[in-house]
Amino acid sequence: MLKKALVCSVAIAAALAAGSAFADTKDKKIALSNNYAGNSWRQSMLKSWDKVTKPAVEAGIVAAADPFTTSENQVTEQAAQIQNLILQGYDAIVINAASPDALNGVVKQACDAGIVVVSFDGIVTEPCAYRIAVDFAKMGEVQLDYLNDKMKDGGNLLEIRGLAGVFVDDEISKGIHRGADKYKQFKIAGSVHGDWAQEVAQKAVAGILPSLPEIKAVVTQGGDGYGAAQAFKAAGRPTPLIIMGNRQDELQWWKEQKDANGYETMSVSIAPGVSTLAFWVAQMILDGKKVPQDMTVPFLQIDQANLEANLATTEKGGVANVEYTAEDAAKVVAGN
Amino acid sequence: MTNIWNRLRHEPWIWSFLAAIGVWLATIAYTGGQGAGEILTAALSFATFSIIVGLGQMMVITTGPGNVDLSIPATITLAGVVAMKVMDTDSARLLLGIGAALGASFLVGVFNYGLIRLLRIPPIIATLSSSFLVLSTAISYGRGIRIKPPLPLDSFATMRILGIPLAAVFVLVLSIVLAIVIKRTLYGRAVVAIGQNPRAAWLAGINVNRTRFMTYVLSALLAGVCGILLSGFSGGAALNMGEEFLLASIAVVVIGGTSVAGGRASVPGIWGAALFMYLLVTMLNTFGASAGVRLIMTGVIIITVIVLAGGETQSK
Repeated sequence: MLKKALVCSVAIAAALAAGSAFADTKDKKIALSNNYAGNSWRQSMLKSWDKVTKPAVEAGIVAAADPFTTSENQVTEQAAQIQNLILQGYDAIVINAASPDALNGVVKQACDAGIVVVSFDGIVTEPCAYRIAVDFAKMGEVQLDYLNDKMKDGGNLLEIRGLAGVFVDDEISKGIHRGADKYKQFKIAGSVHGDWAQEVAQKAVAGILPSLPEIKAVVTQGGDGYGAAQAFKAAGRPTPLIIMGNRQDELQWWKEQKDANGYETMSVSIAPGVSTLAFWVAQMILDGKKVPQDMTVPFLQIDQANLEANLATTEKGGVANVEYTAEDAAKVVAGN
Repeated sequence: MTNIWNRLRHEPWIWSFLAAIGVWLATIAYTGGQGAGEILTAALSFATFSIIVGLGQMMVITTGPGNVDLSIPATITLAGVVAMKVMDTDSARLLLGIGAALGASFLVGVFNYGLIRLLRIPPIIATLSSSFLVLSTAISYGRGIRIKPPLPLDSFATMRILGIPLAAVFVLVLSIVLAIVIKRTLYGRAVVAIGQNPRAAWLAGINVNRTRFMTYVLSALLAGVCGILLSGFSGGAALNMGEEFLLASIAVVVIGGTSVAGGRASVPGIWGAALFMYLLVTMLNTFGASAGVRLIMTGVIIITVIVLAGGETQSK
C-alpha cells in the first residue's frame, strides 16, 4: 500500500515537472572540459561555472553540470578526457580547448555520438561544434582607438603580448598593429611577450626598457598591466598610460593612481563568466531551441567613470566578471 | 695574462660568463651604449630568482643520473601563497610568514623523497606528480587571491644600493656558503661522491639515503626562499608565478657547466648562466626579433654554449 502510494506520488511529481518550462532538459547531463586552471582568469571562470550551474541543477533544469579540468594543459590529455566524457554518457560537452584544431577529431566523435558540443574562449574549428568566440582583434584595436582619443600627439608604444604561438595572442596583436597603422602618430617601439602573467611581463619589460626611448603608452593583452607598472617604477621612469586587463590587482593599482594623481586609462578583457553563457547555450540546444553555430560575445570594457563600480564587484585576486542568467543568454543568442 | 686564460678556459663555468658578456655587448652595441648599466641592474635583479632555484636543482642533479626536481615551480608558488597569506600585509607577522612558507617547502622536500625512497618511484615521475599535489594545495589554499607583501619584504626584495639589488647580495652570500659546503663539508663531499658512483660512496661508508634526502629537502627549501622573495619583488603571489622556473632551473645548471651525469657541481656557472639567459632574451627583444626567431635563436645559442663548454672538458 505504502509502496503504491509512493509510486503514485512519484508519477504525479514527474507529471508536474514535465509541465514546467525546462521539461526537456531535466534529465540531461552537461560536462565542462577545461584545459587549464593555473591563473586567476581560469579560477574565476570555474567559480562562475559553479555559481550558476549548481542552482540550475538543484532547480532541476539539468541533471548534472560537472566541471573537469586537465592538469597539464596538453591537447592529448584533453582529447582523452573528452573521450571519457563521451563514454560516461553526457548529453552536452562545453569545451574551453587547448587548441583550435587538434581536438577536432575527438569533437567529431562526440558529435557522431549525438552529443552537443559548445566551445568558448578557446574555440574548436570542427564544423559540428558550436562556437562562442570573442573578437580578439577588436579587443586590440579598441586600445588604439582609445589612445587616439586621449593623446592626439601620439608617441612611442610598448606592446606586451601574451603566450607565443597561441591563437589569442596572434589575434589581439593583429588588432593592435591594425590600430597602429590606422593612427600614424603612434609607433610601436618595442614588443615583448608577457605570457598574460604579471611576473613574466615585469621581467620582460624591465629587460627591454633601458634600450627604449620615452614610452607614452603600453598596450597589453590582460594580466600584464600591473607587472608593467612595477617594471616602470623599478626603472625610475615616469609611468606611462598602461591599458589594463580587468584583473583585480590591475584595477586596484589604477584606483590608487587615480586617487593620487588623476591617472587615466581604460581596461578591457573577456569576462570569465562566458563559461556560464556557454552552459546556457548548451542547455538551450538540448531544449531544442535554434542557436546559430557561430556567435560572438562582447568583451568587458572598464572606463574611468565606472572603475569604482567594477572594482567593488570584483573579488580580491579575481577578474572583473559578468555571469549570465538563462534570460541574458537568450538575449545574446537572439542578438547574434 | 695568458696564464690566467689558460687556467680559466678549463673551468666549465667560464663559457656561461663569456656568453653573458657577449650578448650584453651585442645589446649595448645595438642601442649605441644607451642603458648599459640599467640592463645589468635588471639582469641581476631577475637572475637572482633563477640562481636560487638553480642552486637547489644543481645539488639534486649532482647526486647522480636520473635525479632531478620537477616540483620546484609548484613549491615556489606554494611558498609564495603561504607567505603572503600568513603575513597578510602585516610587518609584525613577517617572520611567522617566512617560517610557515619554509615549513611548507620542507614538507614538500620530505614528501618528494618519501615517494622516491619508500615507493621507489623514479625522481622525475615522483617530483612531477608531487608538483600536481603541491600546486593544487596552493590553489585551494590561496584561491588565487593576490595579497600584497608587507613593506619590509617588499623593500628587501626591490631595494638597490648603487644599482646593485640587495637581493642579489643576499644570494651571493648564499652561493658562497653553498660553494664552501660542497668543497669543505662532509655533506657536500658526500653529494659529489654519490654522483660519481653511488656504490663506491656506499662502500666508503657514506649514508647515501640520508644525503639524498637532505638534498631534496634543500632543493625544496631554496624553492621556498625563491617563492618568498619573488612575491616580495612582484607585489604578491600568483598561481602561475613558478611556471617559468621549470625549464630555467634545469637550463642554468646545464649551461653553467654542472655535469648532467652528476658528480660535478659548479656554483659560479649558475650565476653566469642565469645572467646569460636573461640577457639573451633582453638582446633578442631589443633587436625586435619575433617570437619564432627568438625561440630558435635561444635554442641555437644555448646549444652552442653547451657544446663549447662540453668540448673543453672532453679535450682535457
